[in-house]
Amino acid sequence: MTTRNLHHLLAFLSGGLLAVMLLFNGTLAAQTTATFASWVAHGAGAVLALALLFLRPGARIWRGGAPAWAYLGGLSGALTVVVTAVAVNSALALSGTLALGLAGQAAFGLLADRFGFLGLKVRKPGWRAYAALVLVLAGSSLVILGGAG
Amino acid sequence: MIGFVTLALLGGVLVGLSRQLNGRLALSTTALMASFWNHVVGFVILCATLLAAPTLWPETMAGVPLWAWFGGWVGVVFVASGSWLILRIGAAATAVLVIAGQMVFGVILDLWQAVERNLALDLLGVALILAGVALAASAQPKE
Repeated sequence: MTTRNLHHLLAFLSGGLLAVMLLFNGTLAAQTTATFASWVAHGAGAVLALALLFLRPGARIWRGGAPAWAYLGGLSGALTVVVTAVAVNSALALSGTLALGLAGQAAFGLLADRFGFLGLKVRKPGWRAYAALVLVLAGSSLVILGGAG
Repeated sequence: MIGFVTLALLGGVLVGLSRQLNGRLALSTTALMASFWNHVVGFVILCATLLAAPTLWPETMAGVPLWAWFGGWVGVVFVASGSWLILRIGAAATAVLVIAGQMVFGVILDLWQAVERNLALDLLGVALILAGVALAASAQPKE
């Protein structure tokens, strides 16, 4: 297995982690509110991440010359909660919101690579990358339909 | 309706933007540090949200199973891995493979929990997704 194949496998498995996380947070949100569930998840995550930083001195680079805006990933994440909560309660429902969200995420990824958004490396995707994206989005739509009906 | 479609698309764009920002922070620091700040900043914003709109605080938490409180711990690993991977395989490949894993494992979790699903659509969907994953593995990016 090449390093690149290993990275692809890890990315696929991290998608599995996301599915588990959504099951946990979704269950909490169903019993409470979406905002409260997100608040708990971020708080619990911050505590665990801090504990891990203390266990791993090598990971403790607090500034490293990063621009201040690079610390705003959490702002974007918190906004996601609000935006999707509104969309889910429209005629799009959960399945439509999920499918469109995946499309938006994939399109952003292609543009981000093409132009090297926010100082990350420029990468020009070949036809296989586009075809892979179409297959995964088409398959995801079927899976979302499979869950909705 | 077009407004809601835009909002739903924006939800996905924000997920990608978050990963791009965390990747940029990981470039100067570490993936674990990026995950730490992602959670701290999100927590502060959500604290402010709950203070501004107290009705979003739940009336009762009695029905929450113990395990459901720990999704954030899974999230730490998820955000750190995304911040690490985006620097190595790029934003598009990370997004496509994370989506693929999310869908395939989502079906497995649903079946495990005995959620009623349309198995024909699931099988066809998972087959297409896995074909996409195989194609992504064979792609050679020009840099």
